[in-house]
Amino acid sequence: MTLYSDSEYPVRQEIDALHAVQLDQLADPGAWGTGRQRLAVAGECRRACYDAGILEEPEDAGPPSEIELPDAVRGMIRKLAVTPKDYLEESYREATAGGLSDEEYVEIVGIVSRLTDMDIFARGIGVPLRPLPAARDGLPTRVRPKTARKELAWVPTVPNHPEGGEDAAGMFGESYKPYIIRSLSLVPDEFRRHFELEETHYLSVRNVTTEDHRDYDGFTRAQVELVAGRVSALNECFY
Amino acid sequence: MPGGREILAYSDAVIGPDRSVLDRARLDLAGAVGPKAVPAAAAIAGNFTKNDRIANGIGIPSELPMLRNSRDIRAELGINEFRSAANTRKHYPDEF
Repeated sequence: MTLYSDSEYPVRQEIDALHAVQLDQLADPGAWGTGRQRLAVAGECRRACYDAGILEEPEDAGPPSEIELPDAVRGMIRKLAVTPKDYLEESYREATAGGLSDEEYVEIVGIVSRLTDMDIFARGIGVPLRPLPAARDGLPTRVRPKTARKELAWVPTVPNHPEGGEDAAGMFGESYKPYIIRSLSLVPDEFRRHFELEETHYLSVRNVTTEDHRDYDGFTRAQVELVAGRVSALNECFY
Repeated sequence: MPGGREILAYSDAVIGPDRSVLDRARLDLAGAVGPKAVPAAAAIAGNFTKNDRIANGIGIPSELPMLRNSRDIRAELGINEFRSAANTRKHYPDEF
Protein backbone atom coordinates (compact mmCIF):
# COMPACT_ATOMS: atom_id res chain seq x y z
CA MET A 1 0.00 0.00 0.00
CA THR A 2 1.57 3.27 -1.11
CA LEU A 3 0.48 6.86 -0.43
CA TYR A 4 -1.34 7.26 -3.75
CA SER A 5 -2.40 3.65 -4.35
CA ASP A 6 -6.00 4.89 -4.72
CA SER A 7 -5.09 7.03 -7.75
CA GLU A 8 -6.65 6.12 -11.10
CA TYR A 9 -3.54 7.52 -12.76
CA PRO A 10 0.00 6.10 -12.58
CA VAL A 11 2.02 8.03 -9.99
CA ARG A 12 5.81 7.78 -10.18
CA GLN A 13 7.24 5.80 -7.30
CA GLU A 14 9.69 8.55 -6.32
CA ILE A 15 6.89 11.13 -6.00
CA ASP A 16 4.77 8.74 -3.95
CA ALA A 17 7.67 7.92 -1.63
CA LEU A 18 8.82 11.53 -1.23
CA HIS A 19 5.35 12.81 -0.33
CA ALA A 20 4.94 10.04 2.24
CA VAL A 21 8.21 11.08 3.88
CA GLN A 22 7.64 14.84 3.70
CA LEU A 23 4.08 14.70 5.07
CA ASP A 24 5.25 12.52 7.95
CA GLN A 25 8.20 14.85 8.69
CA LEU A 26 5.77 17.66 9.49
CA ALA A 27 5.17 15.87 12.81
CA ASP A 28 8.83 16.13 13.85
CA PRO A 29 10.46 19.14 15.48
CA GLY A 30 12.05 21.30 12.80
CA ALA A 31 14.83 23.85 13.07
CA TRP A 32 12.70 26.49 14.82
CA GLY A 33 9.27 24.97 15.45
CA THR A 34 8.11 21.97 17.47
CA GLY A 35 6.12 19.21 15.83
CA ARG A 36 2.92 20.67 17.30
CA GLN A 37 3.73 24.13 15.96
CA ARG A 38 4.62 22.82 12.51
CA LEU A 39 1.38 20.85 12.31
CA ALA A 40 -0.56 23.91 13.47
CA VAL A 41 0.98 25.78 10.53
CA ALA A 42 0.01 22.96 8.17
CA GLY A 43 -3.52 22.82 9.58
CA GLU A 44 -4.00 26.59 9.23
CA CYS A 45 -2.70 26.44 5.66
CA ARG A 46 -5.26 23.80 4.76
CA ARG A 47 -8.14 25.54 6.57
CA ALA A 48 -7.42 28.73 4.63
CA CYS A 49 -7.57 26.79 1.37
CA TYR A 50 -10.83 25.04 2.37
CA ASP A 51 -12.34 28.42 3.26
CA ALA A 52 -11.27 29.83 -0.11
CA GLY A 53 -12.66 26.81 -1.95
CA ILE A 54 -9.36 25.89 -3.60
CA LEU A 55 -8.96 22.61 -1.68
CA GLU A 56 -11.62 20.18 -0.51
CA GLU A 57 -11.54 19.01 3.12
CA PRO A 58 -11.02 15.23 3.26
CA GLU A 59 -13.05 12.94 5.52
CA ASP A 60 -9.84 12.03 7.33
CA ALA A 61 -7.70 15.14 7.74
CA GLY A 62 -5.71 13.70 10.64
CA PRO A 63 -5.72 14.76 14.31
CA PRO A 64 -6.81 18.37 15.03
CA SER A 65 -4.13 20.88 15.96
CA GLU A 66 -3.27 20.96 19.64
CA ILE A 67 -2.23 24.60 19.72
CA GLU A 68 -3.51 28.00 18.58
CA LEU A 69 -1.21 30.19 16.51
CA PRO A 70 -0.82 33.94 17.10
CA ASP A 71 -2.98 36.14 14.84
CA ALA A 72 0.02 37.58 12.98
CA VAL A 73 1.20 34.08 12.09
CA ARG A 74 -2.27 32.91 11.07
CA GLY A 75 -2.63 35.99 8.86
CA MET A 76 0.61 35.41 6.97
CA ILE A 77 -0.11 31.71 6.51
CA ARG A 78 -3.59 32.38 5.14
CA LYS A 79 -2.44 35.07 2.70
CA LEU A 80 0.53 33.05 1.43
CA ALA A 81 -1.55 29.89 1.07
CA VAL A 82 -4.47 31.44 -0.81
CA THR A 83 -3.35 34.65 -2.56
CA PRO A 84 0.41 34.57 -3.12
CA LYS A 85 0.01 37.30 -5.75
CA ASP A 86 -0.97 39.73 -2.99
CA TYR A 87 1.87 38.76 -0.69
CA LEU A 88 4.09 41.84 -0.39
CA GLU A 89 6.93 43.11 1.76
CA GLU A 90 4.33 44.58 4.18
CA SER A 91 3.07 41.03 4.76
CA TYR A 92 6.56 39.97 5.82
CA ARG A 93 6.99 43.09 7.98
CA GLU A 94 3.66 42.44 9.74
CA ALA A 95 4.63 38.83 10.46
CA THR A 96 7.99 39.72 11.96
CA ALA A 97 6.52 42.70 13.85
CA GLY A 98 4.07 40.17 15.29
CA GLY A 99 6.94 38.30 16.91
CA LEU A 100 8.34 35.88 14.32
CA SER A 101 12.11 35.73 13.86
CA ASP A 102 13.45 35.51 10.30
CA GLU A 103 14.36 31.87 10.93
CA GLU A 104 10.84 30.99 12.12
CA TYR A 105 9.37 32.94 9.21
CA VAL A 106 11.42 31.00 6.64
CA GLU A 107 10.43 27.67 8.18
CA ILE A 108 6.75 28.63 7.95
CA VAL A 109 7.10 29.77 4.32
CA GLY A 110 8.72 26.41 3.58
CA ILE A 111 5.97 24.39 5.27
CA VAL A 112 3.13 26.32 3.59
CA SER A 113 4.77 26.14 0.16
CA ARG A 114 5.63 22.44 0.34
CA LEU A 115 2.27 21.39 1.72
CA THR A 116 0.46 23.39 -0.96
CA ASP A 117 2.61 21.62 -3.55
CA MET A 118 1.66 18.16 -2.28
CA ASP A 119 -2.01 19.08 -1.79
CA ILE A 120 -2.32 20.51 -5.30
CA PHE A 121 -0.79 17.29 -6.59
CA ALA A 122 -3.36 15.16 -4.73
CA ARG A 123 -6.22 17.35 -5.94
CA GLY A 124 -4.74 17.30 -9.43
CA ILE A 125 -4.82 13.52 -9.70
CA GLY A 126 -8.28 13.37 -8.13
CA VAL A 127 -7.62 11.81 -4.71
CA PRO A 128 -8.53 13.26 -1.28
CA LEU A 129 -5.83 15.16 0.59
CA ARG A 130 -3.75 12.79 2.64
CA PRO A 131 -4.21 13.02 6.45
CA LEU A 132 -1.69 15.00 8.49
CA PRO A 133 0.20 12.96 11.12
CA ALA A 134 0.08 13.27 14.90
CA ALA A 135 2.81 15.46 16.42
CA ARG A 136 5.92 13.86 17.86
CA ASP A 137 7.76 15.22 20.88
CA GLY A 138 11.16 16.86 20.76
CA LEU A 139 12.90 20.19 20.59
CA PRO A 140 13.84 22.23 17.48
CA THR A 141 17.46 21.94 16.40
CA ARG A 142 17.92 25.74 16.08
CA VAL A 143 20.49 25.25 13.33
CA ARG A 144 21.39 28.50 11.58
CA PRO A 145 24.08 28.61 8.85
CA LYS A 146 27.00 30.78 9.96
CA THR A 147 27.42 32.35 6.52
CA ALA A 148 23.77 33.43 6.09
CA ARG A 149 23.57 37.16 5.56
CA LYS A 150 21.34 39.81 4.09
CA GLU A 151 21.57 39.77 0.29
CA LEU A 152 18.67 40.97 -1.87
CA ALA A 153 15.78 38.97 -0.35
CA TRP A 154 13.80 40.14 2.69
CA VAL A 155 15.45 37.53 4.89
CA PRO A 156 19.10 36.42 5.14
CA THR A 157 20.24 33.77 2.66
CA VAL A 158 23.41 31.71 2.23
CA PRO A 159 25.42 33.34 -0.59
CA ASN A 160 26.73 31.35 -3.51
CA HIS A 161 30.14 29.72 -3.17
CA PRO A 162 32.82 30.88 -2.36
CA GLU A 163 31.19 33.59 -0.15
CA GLY A 164 28.84 31.00 1.29
CA GLY A 165 31.75 28.76 2.29
CA GLU A 166 31.03 25.27 3.56
CA ASP A 167 27.34 26.08 4.11
CA ALA A 168 26.93 26.83 0.39
CA ALA A 169 29.09 23.92 -0.74
CA GLY A 170 27.16 21.52 1.48
CA MET A 171 23.71 22.70 0.44
CA PHE A 172 23.96 23.65 -3.21
CA GLY A 173 27.48 22.96 -4.38
CA GLU A 174 30.15 25.26 -5.71
CA SER A 175 28.47 26.44 -8.90
CA TYR A 176 26.24 29.53 -9.09
CA LYS A 177 22.63 28.97 -7.98
CA PRO A 178 19.77 31.41 -8.55
CA TYR A 179 17.72 32.85 -5.70
CA ILE A 180 14.84 30.42 -6.12
CA ILE A 181 17.19 27.58 -5.16
CA ARG A 182 18.83 29.47 -2.26
CA SER A 183 15.68 31.20 -0.98
CA LEU A 184 15.11 28.96 2.09
CA SER A 185 18.80 28.46 2.90
CA LEU A 186 18.49 30.26 6.25
CA VAL A 187 16.82 27.01 7.37
CA PRO A 188 18.85 24.21 5.76
CA ASP A 189 16.22 21.51 6.41
CA GLU A 190 13.61 23.55 4.54
CA PHE A 191 16.07 24.19 1.72
CA ARG A 192 16.70 20.45 1.37
CA ARG A 193 13.02 19.51 1.33
CA HIS A 194 12.18 22.24 -1.19
CA PHE A 195 15.06 21.03 -3.35
CA GLU A 196 13.95 17.38 -3.09
CA LEU A 197 10.50 18.32 -4.36
CA GLU A 198 12.02 20.47 -7.10
CA GLU A 199 14.18 17.66 -8.41
CA THR A 200 11.41 15.05 -8.15
CA HIS A 201 8.48 17.07 -9.51
CA TYR A 202 10.19 19.23 -12.09
CA LEU A 203 13.69 18.23 -13.17
CA SER A 204 17.23 18.11 -11.95
CA VAL A 205 18.87 21.54 -11.79
CA ARG A 206 21.67 20.33 -14.09
CA ASN A 207 19.08 19.74 -16.84
CA VAL A 208 17.13 23.00 -16.57
CA THR A 209 18.89 24.63 -19.51
CA THR A 210 18.71 21.53 -21.74
CA GLU A 211 15.71 22.47 -23.87
CA ASP A 212 14.67 18.99 -24.94
CA HIS A 213 15.41 17.27 -21.63
CA ARG A 214 12.49 15.03 -20.72
CA ASP A 215 11.79 13.77 -17.21
CA TYR A 216 8.25 12.51 -17.82
CA ASP A 217 7.22 9.63 -20.00
CA GLY A 218 4.19 10.88 -21.95
CA PHE A 219 4.72 14.60 -21.26
CA THR A 220 7.26 16.67 -23.20
CA ARG A 221 9.46 19.47 -21.85
CA ALA A 222 7.35 21.99 -23.78
CA GLN A 223 4.19 20.64 -22.15
CA VAL A 224 5.89 20.82 -18.74
CA GLU A 225 6.82 24.47 -19.30
CA LEU A 226 3.29 25.31 -20.46
CA VAL A 227 1.89 24.15 -17.10
CA ALA A 228 4.68 25.91 -15.20
CA GLY A 229 4.20 29.20 -17.03
CA ARG A 230 0.41 29.17 -16.77
CA VAL A 231 0.35 28.41 -13.04
CA SER A 232 2.97 31.04 -12.28
CA ALA A 233 1.12 33.63 -14.37
CA LEU A 234 -2.12 32.92 -12.49
CA ASN A 235 -0.22 33.27 -9.21
CA GLU A 236 1.33 36.51 -10.58
CA CYS A 237 4.81 35.40 -9.69
CA PHE A 238 7.25 37.85 -11.32
CA TYR A 239 10.23 35.66 -10.52
CA MET B 1 1.49 21.79 -29.16
CA PRO B 2 -0.34 18.44 -28.75
CA GLY B 3 -2.99 18.86 -26.07
CA GLY B 4 -2.17 22.54 -25.57
CA ARG B 5 -5.78 23.59 -25.02
CA GLU B 6 -6.41 20.77 -22.55
CA ILE B 7 -3.14 21.48 -20.67
CA LEU B 8 -4.08 25.14 -20.23
CA ALA B 9 -7.59 24.26 -19.08
CA TYR B 10 -6.22 21.76 -16.57
CA SER B 11 -3.62 24.26 -15.30
CA ASP B 12 -6.34 26.84 -14.70
CA ALA B 13 -8.64 24.33 -13.01
CA VAL B 14 -6.13 22.64 -10.72
CA ILE B 15 -5.54 25.86 -8.78
CA GLY B 16 -9.08 27.14 -9.29
CA PRO B 17 -12.15 26.91 -7.04
CA ASP B 18 -14.50 24.71 -9.09
CA ARG B 19 -13.93 21.00 -8.47
CA SER B 20 -16.33 19.94 -11.22
CA VAL B 21 -14.37 21.99 -13.77
CA LEU B 22 -11.17 20.30 -12.58
CA ASP B 23 -12.73 16.84 -12.83
CA ARG B 24 -13.75 17.56 -16.45
CA ALA B 25 -10.35 19.08 -17.29
CA ARG B 26 -8.56 16.03 -15.86
CA LEU B 27 -10.56 13.67 -18.07
CA ASP B 28 -10.00 15.90 -21.11
CA LEU B 29 -6.25 16.01 -20.46
CA ALA B 30 -6.03 12.23 -20.12
CA GLY B 31 -8.06 11.83 -23.30
CA ALA B 32 -5.96 14.27 -25.33
CA VAL B 33 -2.44 13.51 -24.10
CA GLY B 34 -2.76 10.19 -22.27
CA PRO B 35 -3.25 9.06 -18.66
CA LYS B 36 0.42 9.63 -17.73
CA ALA B 37 -0.06 13.32 -18.49
CA VAL B 38 -2.34 13.79 -15.46
CA PRO B 39 0.17 13.05 -12.67
CA ALA B 40 2.88 14.81 -14.69
CA ALA B 41 0.82 18.00 -15.01
CA ALA B 42 -0.28 17.74 -11.36
CA ALA B 43 3.35 17.46 -10.24
CA ILE B 44 4.42 20.48 -12.28
CA ALA B 45 1.43 22.54 -11.10
CA GLY B 46 2.23 21.59 -7.51
CA ASN B 47 5.90 22.41 -7.92
CA PHE B 48 5.22 25.86 -9.29
CA THR B 49 2.57 26.66 -6.69
CA LYS B 50 5.40 25.92 -4.24
CA ASN B 51 7.95 28.05 -6.05
CA ASP B 52 5.53 30.97 -6.51
CA ARG B 53 4.84 31.01 -2.76
CA ILE B 54 8.52 30.74 -1.90
CA ALA B 55 9.52 33.51 -4.33
CA ASN B 56 6.74 35.89 -3.24
CA GLY B 57 7.04 34.91 0.43
CA ILE B 58 10.81 35.42 0.66
CA GLY B 59 10.87 38.51 -1.58
CA ILE B 60 13.59 37.33 -3.93
CA PRO B 61 14.49 39.39 -7.01
CA SER B 62 14.92 37.93 -10.48
CA GLU B 63 18.51 37.47 -11.61
CA LEU B 64 19.95 40.20 -13.82
CA PRO B 65 20.66 38.01 -16.89
CA MET B 66 17.06 36.78 -16.84
CA LEU B 67 15.79 40.35 -16.58
CA ARG B 68 17.90 41.51 -19.49
CA ASN B 69 16.76 38.62 -21.68
CA SER B 70 13.09 39.10 -20.90
CA ARG B 71 12.51 42.84 -21.31
CA ASP B 72 10.31 42.55 -24.43
CA ILE B 73 8.25 39.57 -23.35
CA ARG B 74 7.67 40.99 -19.87
CA ALA B 75 6.26 44.15 -21.39
CA GLU B 76 4.20 42.26 -23.96
CA LEU B 77 2.61 39.92 -21.40
CA GLY B 78 2.10 42.51 -18.67
CA ILE B 79 4.37 40.67 -16.24
CA ASN B 80 5.89 43.97 -15.05
CA GLU B 81 2.47 44.81 -13.62
CA PHE B 82 2.46 41.87 -11.20
CA ARG B 83 2.59 43.15 -7.61
CA SER B 84 5.54 40.84 -6.89
CA ALA B 85 7.59 42.74 -9.51
CA ALA B 86 8.28 45.21 -6.69
CA ASN B 87 10.80 42.74 -5.21
CA THR B 88 12.90 43.03 -8.37
CA ARG B 89 12.16 46.64 -9.35
CA LYS B 90 13.55 48.00 -6.09
CA HIS B 91 16.96 46.46 -6.84
CA TYR B 92 17.04 46.88 -10.63
CA PRO B 93 14.82 49.85 -11.54
CA ASP B 94 16.65 50.46 -14.84
CA GLU B 95 15.63 47.05 -16.17
CA PHE B 96 11.92 47.98 -16.31
